[in-house]
Amino acid sequence: MTEIIVVTSGKGGVGKTTTSASLACGLARRGKKVAVIDFDIGLRNLDLIMGCERRVVYDFVNVIQGECTLKQALIKDKRLETLYVLAASQTRDKDALSSEGVRRVFDDLTADGFEYIVCDSPAGIEKGAHLAMYFADRAVVVVNPEVSSVRDSDRILGLLSAKTLRAEQGNGQVKEHLLLTRYSPKRVATGEMMSVGDVKEILGLDVVGVVPESVDVLAASNAGIPVILNENSDVSRAYEDAVARLLGETVPLRFVDEPKKGFFARMFGG
Amino acid sequence: MNKTADAPREHAVEIRFGQVGLVQVRLHTIDPGSILDELTGRTATAPHFFERTAVCLDLSTLTKPPSVEEIRAVVEVVRRAGMLSVGLAQGGASVEALANALEMPVFTHIRAPSKPVPVVQAAPAPEPTLPALMQHQPVRSGQRVYARNRDLIVMATVAAGAEVMADGCVHIYGPLRGRVMAGVHGDTEARVFCQTFNAELVSIAGVFRVFETIPADLAGMPVQAWLAGEDLRFAKIGE
Repeated sequence: MTEIIVVTSGKGGVGKTTTSASLACGLARRGKKVAVIDFDIGLRNLDLIMGCERRVVYDFVNVIQGECTLKQALIKDKRLETLYVLAASQTRDKDALSSEGVRRVFDDLTADGFEYIVCDSPAGIEKGAHLAMYFADRAVVVVNPEVSSVRDSDRILGLLSAKTLRAEQGNGQVKEHLLLTRYSPKRVATGEMMSVGDVKEILGLDVVGVVPESVDVLAASNAGIPVILNENSDVSRAYEDAVARLLGETVPLRFVDEPKKGFFARMFGG
Repeated sequence: MNKTADAPREHAVEIRFGQVGLVQVRLHTIDPGSILDELTGRTATAPHFFERTAVCLDLSTLTKPPSVEEIRAVVEVVRRAGMLSVGLAQGGASVEALANALEMPVFTHIRAPSKPVPVVQAAPAPEPTLPALMQHQPVRSGQRVYARNRDLIVMATVAAGAEVMADGCVHIYGPLRGRVMAGVHGDTEARVFCQTFNAELVSIAGVFRVFETIPADLAGMPVQAWLAGEDLRFAKIGE
């Protein structure tokens, strides 16, 4: 049984690729066979975040257009045995993708025994984003706690309920999850930022994870190491929790409240 | 060639279609004398109304097909009555033959009322008779839900940037943050009811208000909106 998970948001720069990379790693670390695919044709980034940019020979578009086999294009991760990356093409544009081609790749991955296919959607609601979500069983909607991101996510949720294969076939809904990123409990406390509760109420969905704002994300991206693999980071723990919830485990939300200062910290302004 | 420099015309004429009303004269006799008497009597009551009016002759009630000469005579008396015959109403092969001989067009698709015109015209717009359209899923930003000829009941959120519309009333039991339009085909009796009012825009039968002009104390309240004349009114439900 293969499950297709799309990581999407509508708005750009909210952390879709960071989330795709970390969720894929988290699932693979639990022994699942995972393929993570970059749907942002022409603006390929996932390979950088995954640290495999120098090993990209063939890409997603090459496979779709029959210029190579799927096996040739899948890049095996050096850290995790069961994780594979399918990079986007940097030289083509979104029109190179076709619904038929994407379906063929998914069918081949299914036949190959992949348990999870994580689709890193481009921003926007154009063809690339549409195809990334079209075949999905589940969607992780990445939201920053601010109004424009929430509005765009609402739009994406509307598309998920109408413009997907499941919706068109009446084959049950795409299962939707919210994942908040760049969350700063301190700024929520001062009223500068929307809270988890605010976002949940507006979008009417439960959250699968809350990832705190952290300098660790940028450092991990620059190093080409998915941030979930940085064991010392709260971000890693937050993504680990999200993976657990995706797999059906019940884990309490962390990193949503401002850390309580201890007595000494309060006394000495620590 | 002596073309003007500024307007090089590609076509000498332009053919356009338009629709005009056409007076029909249904002949019960072919006798020119009685036709003229009748027509002049009629036109005398409204002389300007019938002046140079285009007329279509309807021969369908004549007992036997008239000859070309007889129709020529009728055309002449119609002209003397101040109107101009421009064609014949459709009526089978004999009418076609007459029209050919007279070089007149035949008008098809003329639907003369065969029954007396009823006194009461223009029935009121059909009332919403269908059961209300139920919307259980949230209406997301960018989505539209329209209940044609009926009421709409939304059991979930109407998000900012979403639109819900109905020909009848709109009832919203989730938070309303988007746009709502009731009576979109002009039913001024339609109303909007909602549980948690935070609408961007409310419209009933085309009369609308945006949230800036909606009283702020209604925000988050159960509210109904209705039309009083040209004025869109709001009130908390239960007060």
